[in-house]
Amino acid sequence: MDFLTFVFKSSLFDFSRNKGRTFLTSLGILIGVMAVVLLTAFGLGLKAYIEQQFEDLGSNIIRIVPGQLLKDGNFSNTASAFTSIQFDEKDVQQLNRIRELKDVVPVYSRTLTVVAGNNKESSTLYSSTAGIFTVLNVKADYGRLYTDQDVDKRSKVIVIGPVLAENLFLSSRKAIGKTVKIEGQSYTIIGVTNKKGGGFGGPDFDSFTYMPYKTAYTFNTDKTFMAIILQAKQDKDIKSVIRQAESTLLKRYEEDEFSVIQQEELLLAIGSIFSIINTVLIAIAAISLVVGGIGIMNIMYVTVTERIKEIGIRRALGARKSDILWQFLVESVILSLLGGSAGLGLSYLIVLFIQAYFPAYIDLNSVVLALGVSSAIGIIFGVFPAKKAADLSPIEAIRYE
Amino acid sequence: MSSIIELKNIWKKYQIDDDVIFTALKDVSLTIEKGEFCGLVGPSGSGKSTLMHIIGLLDKPTEGEVIIEGKNIASVNDDRLSTLRNEFVGFVFQQFNLINKLTVLENILLPTVYARKKIDYDPQKRALEIMERFGIASKANSYANRISGGQQQRVAIARSLIMSPDLILADEPTGNLDTKSGDEIMKLLKQLNKEDHITVLIVTHEPDIAAQTRRQIQIVDGSITS
Repeated sequence: MDFLTFVFKSSLFDFSRNKGRTFLTSLGILIGVMAVVLLTAFGLGLKAYIEQQFEDLGSNIIRIVPGQLLKDGNFSNTASAFTSIQFDEKDVQQLNRIRELKDVVPVYSRTLTVVAGNNKESSTLYSSTAGIFTVLNVKADYGRLYTDQDVDKRSKVIVIGPVLAENLFLSSRKAIGKTVKIEGQSYTIIGVTNKKGGGFGGPDFDSFTYMPYKTAYTFNTDKTFMAIILQAKQDKDIKSVIRQAESTLLKRYEEDEFSVIQQEELLLAIGSIFSIINTVLIAIAAISLVVGGIGIMNIMYVTVTERIKEIGIRRALGARKSDILWQFLVESVILSLLGGSAGLGLSYLIVLFIQAYFPAYIDLNSVVLALGVSSAIGIIFGVFPAKKAADLSPIEAIRYE
Repeated sequence: MSSIIELKNIWKKYQIDDDVIFTALKDVSLTIEKGEFCGLVGPSGSGKSTLMHIIGLLDKPTEGEVIIEGKNIASVNDDRLSTLRNEFVGFVFQQFNLINKLTVLENILLPTVYARKKIDYDPQKRALEIMERFGIASKANSYANRISGGQQQRVAIARSLIMSPDLILADEPTGNLDTKSGDEIMKLLKQLNKEDHITVLIVTHEPDIAAQTRRQIQIVDGSITS
């Protein structure tokens, strides 16, 4: 039998004899590893989610919103961020004069209740031109989308998301042609959009209600818009469009009363904020690993004290200091790896469960890092107790009772 | 005959308090020849265990020279001392000092785990042979604390033999055993000396155990009297 087999056998014996203690000691590492791995998985999921959103975006989109939302690419924290102005048709007309624009899409949005017989569902209303579908990259799976004619005729028609359709009528197909009541008025469902997923922090397009904006004037009595979305003809025109849109709006509003933002920029800003929060959380979680390591060190000191006699016997039989050092170091690493692997396994199960709702995932880096870090903790926090064991005088150790 | 161990003017002092020094060994000189079967005899507290630990390289003298097979070990480092304990000496203790979480076979094989020299025999096979000879083969896979005291001491002797030592140091080997088991252990030690030509040094305070050795070294108050 070789040295390692003996060490493993010896440590496994001690672990199984002190099951409770072994469990509690590795629990510290387990929790630490789990926290770090899970947070990393969330961070990766968030990144994947934002990339997904980029793909879903219509191209060359510029958004005009009230208040000063972004300043130099970061979220503004001044009071003006909350200034509430609203745009109207006059703004839309003026913005339409910009030549490089393909479309100007005003958006009036609010939350409302859609009633179909006895069923009631809450939904976010987007009332706009037909251009909103291009901007949001939304298509009709069933029926059709409303057109600019519907807008001009103030047709009492709506297009709804597939989730809303299922909730109200059990299937998207059955929803077509049905009449629903919104704010006391009846509207015909002419289309159900394709499934887009999402809903975590971002808009849940699948439960949206789209309505021609002029139709919505029945309850949007001020005829105002929360946002105006511009679509440039070409990518290279975006900067010029932003400049012209700003100078157009400056005629009516103060500089800090509105923001003209490229949509990607907004997503990037949101993404960078979340990734900073994620990094900070991981750093905090990493502290728990250090605490776990101290727990291991503590138990290793106890183990060494309990086994002084054994150390003495081994030394009398010819074990060198380094043999004893390695024995306890290996034991400490096993203890730490035990917790690390369990934490990794548990995180895997949790991520498996979460994946139904959010694209979190554990990558190979996390696995390697989790196992690497737990081994490193085993070594770092095991080395002092192991050194203490190795430096015991053989004669005093063997006499120890 | 050549000497296996030579002690020259050994002193061992312990600092007990700031100004109290306890002298365990006073100017002890001693030579043990190869193949001897001797007893180190003295009352408890006479310093015989301390002397054995120094001979067994578990402890170092405060002053004096320890010469093993003609080599002074004063300048030998800790790793080399460990190797000498591994290859040159076999210990048998009064308390057996087996590791209870290991089986009998694993206990006997433990010294081979720390061997630095190449072992030119199959340790497992050799361990089984020794166990056969000592009548403990049936206990090979029992845990060390699940067998009788007499059997434990045989395991300890088997363990001391696995590396083919030149010297066996037995510290009160019969002290924790009944008369019958003690007699059998003594018989084994005599056999090892006679048939295997291993030098045996038995530390004891019992006159009838000492009487079974061929040479008795008397130690009283840290000095050798005869």
